[in-house]
Amino acid sequence: MIKFLKLYERFGIFIFIILGSIFLAIASPNFLQTNTILNIIAQGTYGAIVGFGMTFAITSGGFDLSVAAVMGLTSVFLSLLIPVLGIPLAIIISLLVASSVGLVNGLIITKLNVNPLITTLAMMTIIRGVSLLVAGGRQIVISEKMFSIIGTGFLAGIPIPIIIMVVLFIFMFFTMYHSPFGRHVSAVGSNESAARISGLNVDLIKIMVFVLVAFTAGVAGVIRTSQTLIGIPTMSPGFELVAITVTILGGTSLAGGRGNIWGTLFAAIFISMIYYGLNLLNVQIFFQMLSVGTVLIIALFIDGARNRYLESVRAKGIKV
Amino acid sequence: MNKNNKLCKLENITKTFPGVVAINDVSFDVNLGEVHALVGENGAGKSTLIKMLGGVYRPDRGAIYFKNKKTVFTSTCESQNKGISVIYQEFNLIPDLTVAENIFVGREPKIFGSLIMNWKKLNSDAKKILEDLDSDIDPKKYISDITIAERQMVEIAKALSIKSRLIIMDEPTATLTGKEVKKLFEIIKNLREKGVSIIYISHRLEEAFELSDRITVLRDGKKIGTKKTSDTNESEIIEMMVGKVVKEYFAESSTKHEKKEVVMEVNNYSVADYVDNVSFKLYKGEILSIAGILGSGAHHLLRSIYGAIPKKAGEIYFEGKKVNINDPRDAIKLGIGFVTEDRKDEALLYDMSVLQNLSIIIIKTLTFLKGLFIKAEKEKSVFDRMKDRLDIKFSNYNQKVIYLSGGNQQKVVIGRTLITNCKVLILCEPTRGVDVGAKAEIHKIMRELADRGISILMTSSELPELVNLSDRSIVLYKGKVAAEFDRETMDEEKLVEAQIGQTSSKIIK
Repeated sequence: MIKFLKLYERFGIFIFIILGSIFLAIASPNFLQTNTILNIIAQGTYGAIVGFGMTFAITSGGFDLSVAAVMGLTSVFLSLLIPVLGIPLAIIISLLVASSVGLVNGLIITKLNVNPLITTLAMMTIIRGVSLLVAGGRQIVISEKMFSIIGTGFLAGIPIPIIIMVVLFIFMFFTMYHSPFGRHVSAVGSNESAARISGLNVDLIKIMVFVLVAFTAGVAGVIRTSQTLIGIPTMSPGFELVAITVTILGGTSLAGGRGNIWGTLFAAIFISMIYYGLNLLNVQIFFQMLSVGTVLIIALFIDGARNRYLESVRAKGIKV
Repeated sequence: MNKNNKLCKLENITKTFPGVVAINDVSFDVNLGEVHALVGENGAGKSTLIKMLGGVYRPDRGAIYFKNKKTVFTSTCESQNKGISVIYQEFNLIPDLTVAENIFVGREPKIFGSLIMNWKKLNSDAKKILEDLDSDIDPKKYISDITIAERQMVEIAKALSIKSRLIIMDEPTATLTGKEVKKLFEIIKNLREKGVSIIYISHRLEEAFELSDRITVLRDGKKIGTKKTSDTNESEIIEMMVGKVVKEYFAESSTKHEKKEVVMEVNNYSVADYVDNVSFKLYKGEILSIAGILGSGAHHLLRSIYGAIPKKAGEIYFEGKKVNINDPRDAIKLGIGFVTEDRKDEALLYDMSVLQNLSIIIIKTLTFLKGLFIKAEKEKSVFDRMKDRLDIKFSNYNQKVIYLSGGNQQKVVIGRTLITNCKVLILCEPTRGVDVGAKAEIHKIMRELADRGISILMTSSELPELVNLSDRSIVLYKGKVAAEFDRETMDEEKLVEAQIGQTSSKIIK
């Protein structure tokens, strides 16, 4: 059982993906085609990208509920800035705006000592409000067709969103496991007072984590906006739940200290597979929402059951 | 003495925990209306003994008689119902409830078929009990708004409200001021007159002598003896408490401290509520211990020097320069290392490996590409050096630190600090929760470090450790320096006396 749990912690999500693939391969003859698979992965990119940031947040013992709102804010800024500044500068500034939301989150949480859940919950509505205000309550059409390349273009036959996701994955992977910053994030999530006593700048680390999450939300916002070519202040409602689901399902411990970037990547693809499968079965759209919530609860249950089981084993004095 | 006079009797109680015999064949009794003092060094078994009366632990062997009936307490609830109240050091009060609600928690007076709280009766009943204790605490106040002394009063009121026949107080005066202590003593004497029996646990002998009818001394889980207070004196009790200190496994002090070079100087240092105007010098290559019982301020002083808690006043000179330490980061930069007494809550990074736990402080320096990435080989080589030096035993680099033994965990925590090449090493309870073998090893390591020129500033609640390891010892009592000893003047009895406030002019040299 212990071995199984360890295996699950590492590869659990692969088991889901393999089972899902077998099911889809049987249900749909089109599934095993390169295009279909790339399409599924491309649909999973937002989840993965924001999930990377969320993985850092949860590993540090924090949480960010404002990600979907930040995507909307990015979208609005893009639609307003592209006609004025051109595409590259508009993207840079929009990402800066997105990151600054993270900075504000981090400052409130560390300097004013407010619970991250409540802070980002409040920020979620604040940012939505700001987005609607800036956009004047409308959706803003982007006439610059070039901009759609980011979300819909291909490079060497691979959708550009996937390339962005892979680049971010490599960056996040090295940051999490091979950089001092990643180590510090784990230390803070593992035992905050120990991190403080060890001379780590806990506040700064937390602030940087929130900036990182907001940045990933910004990137997802850019891709999404590019696909629709519309600035949408209310973009992706409920997406924060997807990001959290992906992170927990991927094996990152909700208790903090243990992040799993690989897991996040594959959990995002798995969620995308579920969507595809539901589409295939001609299931109505609200069943998709229902499924994400269900998967989150299952993932949380497994996470909790695993921790409880390991705890009880440890109490019996068995080395794990 | 008449047999019916006994309220409570423990016969040949033994209690073992994995690896240690906490209580070894102890017999003990309490008479009706008696104040019985229970004294002993840390780890003597006092807490374990009272926890068995309080229903927290069950004895492995032996019998407990209460009111002449053989009894087994299986829960705190049961022991309370039978008439025993234990007032632990950390109170069992709910801060968000009022005084009255706390006194009657679980037994609130109700009306309308016990659907609705009878607030009026609750508050008036509480008021009456408090008045009996000569206390004017408002029963409607919240616990979080009253002082420590008042909380103690509430605990006593709670004990009386459940008609306890035996009240056990664990170090009740540790956090009280002189005036509050006086009041507590009056209450205890009043209770005794009303026929309530009290087991009084304290480090401060003068309190035991002022209050008690009999004194029982525990040492290393064994009962050394019970004396009638009127038949004994303080020096006899101290001798019973201390016994003979086993010297063998301690590292010998090297005697080469002729030329003294001051590494750190602490002047007029104060920490709010705990440390009051303490000054000392720390020399190169010495082990200086700051001794003191709970509440003496020794821990707070060391934590504050490291920047883990704020200071109120005072100056620190490090290698001759005045320095400001407001945060552990400042201390680490200067070359001051710190090992906490609370390994579980303040040191171990549970989710991380042995390797990662050891390197966390200096991980930023083990990098390439301008600090962007960790150089894995460098981290391993640094780890290997420290592992060999401290003889840390583990199965592989990725083993999680929680699966190491206490001794090896402590070595990892010490190694984490040593790896920074600190010049001053602050150790709080360096061998808490480690087994005897690892203890001796850690002592040896400390001595080696000192011989290499690292100055060690430590505090410990274990007497042998203090006496045998330190080159000098400064004793704090209620936040002030009570005595100072060096190798020649060090004497365990005098050290104990100074720690428990028995400082007379003859001790301070």
